[in-house]
Amino acid sequence: MITHLSSPVTVNWGITARCNFVCSHCFSRLDPSEELSPGEALRVVDVLAEHSVMFLNYGTGEPLLRRDLFPLTEYAAGRGLKVTMNSNGSLIDAAAARRIREAGFHSVGISIDSATPAVHDAFRRMPGSFEKAVRAARLLREAGIPLTVSSVICKVNHRDFAALVSLAKELGAHTIDLHNFKCSGMGGLNKEALDLSPDEWRRFYEAAVPMRDAEKGIDIAFDDPILSLLGAEEKGRLVAGSVCGKLSLYIKPNGEITPCGFIPVTIGHILRDDFGEVWHGSKVLEHLRDKAASGKCSGCAKFSSCLGGCTARAYAAFGTYDAPDPHCWVDD
Amino acid sequence: MIVPKRNPDVVWRLEKGMHAMAWDKARKDEEYEDIGVLTLMVKGGIHQLNLVGAEIWTRLNGINDVRKISAEVGELFGWEASETEEAVLDFLKGIAGQGWVTLNERGEGGSGPAWRPGGTP
Repeated sequence: MITHLSSPVTVNWGITARCNFVCSHCFSRLDPSEELSPGEALRVVDVLAEHSVMFLNYGTGEPLLRRDLFPLTEYAAGRGLKVTMNSNGSLIDAAAARRIREAGFHSVGISIDSATPAVHDAFRRMPGSFEKAVRAARLLREAGIPLTVSSVICKVNHRDFAALVSLAKELGAHTIDLHNFKCSGMGGLNKEALDLSPDEWRRFYEAAVPMRDAEKGIDIAFDDPILSLLGAEEKGRLVAGSVCGKLSLYIKPNGEITPCGFIPVTIGHILRDDFGEVWHGSKVLEHLRDKAASGKCSGCAKFSSCLGGCTARAYAAFGTYDAPDPHCWVDD
Repeated sequence: MIVPKRNPDVVWRLEKGMHAMAWDKARKDEEYEDIGVLTLMVKGGIHQLNLVGAEIWTRLNGINDVRKISAEVGELFGWEASETEEAVLDFLKGIAGQGWVTLNERGEGGSGPAWRPGGTP
């Protein structure tokens, strides 16, 4: 099948960089950019709707800190976008859960990084945050909102993911996203303490993939191109390698567009540039869609399916898009 | 008669540029079957339909039956009605198996509204 998308399927939008947490791995805490005004935010929705973007996901800071979150979401849902958000859950009480449902959220992701409260609280650097996240998840389900649990796999939890999956099921989540650690922003500064070695990543996936394949009660998602090394690519994968710039884009709080939140390379501005021209004409995106094998990827039989793995990790570690993914466990 | 209905959880869009390009190729008798023109997101997975699949998909409104859809699609592509209906049904059964649509039986007289004029609901 020849694939050419008229626009991204998903746009991840950092509607705010503000957050009431100071997590050790946060990619955006070091970004000092201003956020768009409420009127500008509505114009962003117009641009995305006019280009038939299917999913709009709020991430980056804590979305519930934005005062226009609900009217913005009502507007976006009314324009046909499926709106989702990632939240730490700390600001979600019963009233907020009702407002989230009424605003038309398609799904909400709550960050929970360990089934052990003290481990989650230490990772999020916020005492009591586990309890609040679990309470938020329950309130969202009681309000009838589809729930996902979002976890960052790293040193603190890579051996305990099964308990996380059990907790997510018990909370009624339809999906648990086991995100791989990215060494961008604070994640780069804390890489030594938090990131796994390539061999640890191999062992994690060798244990987690069979669970994903056998699990019936919840979808376990990884979204990591390095899964190709195990021949364990996720079902329904339309593109090889990273999805950044192929299926998705990221909009920073100030409106700048980057290929993904973890690749800090500006390729345009959502309100100042033609979004279609950015999507179809960006030289950076062209490069990401047609990566060349370099280093140990040259001659590797897996390159055609992994395309060098995660471009964001390669860029953060080596400063080039084509470098091999530092998580890759294939020998040099 | 079978009336197909899209699963409302399937999020989809027509890729307008690719749709136009595929039609252009079809009209010139060039190969268009491998061009994805409609994108669907189902349970986190992403899929694409080609031109014929897209023309069927966009006619699934829970009202059109297979015969009507087949007649319209057959006319678009200049195909025989009987062959088209079989092919359309095969396609629909395939995507019903993936949970993208439901196939509901309806009597030849059609299903009427669940109320009677002047009566009590």
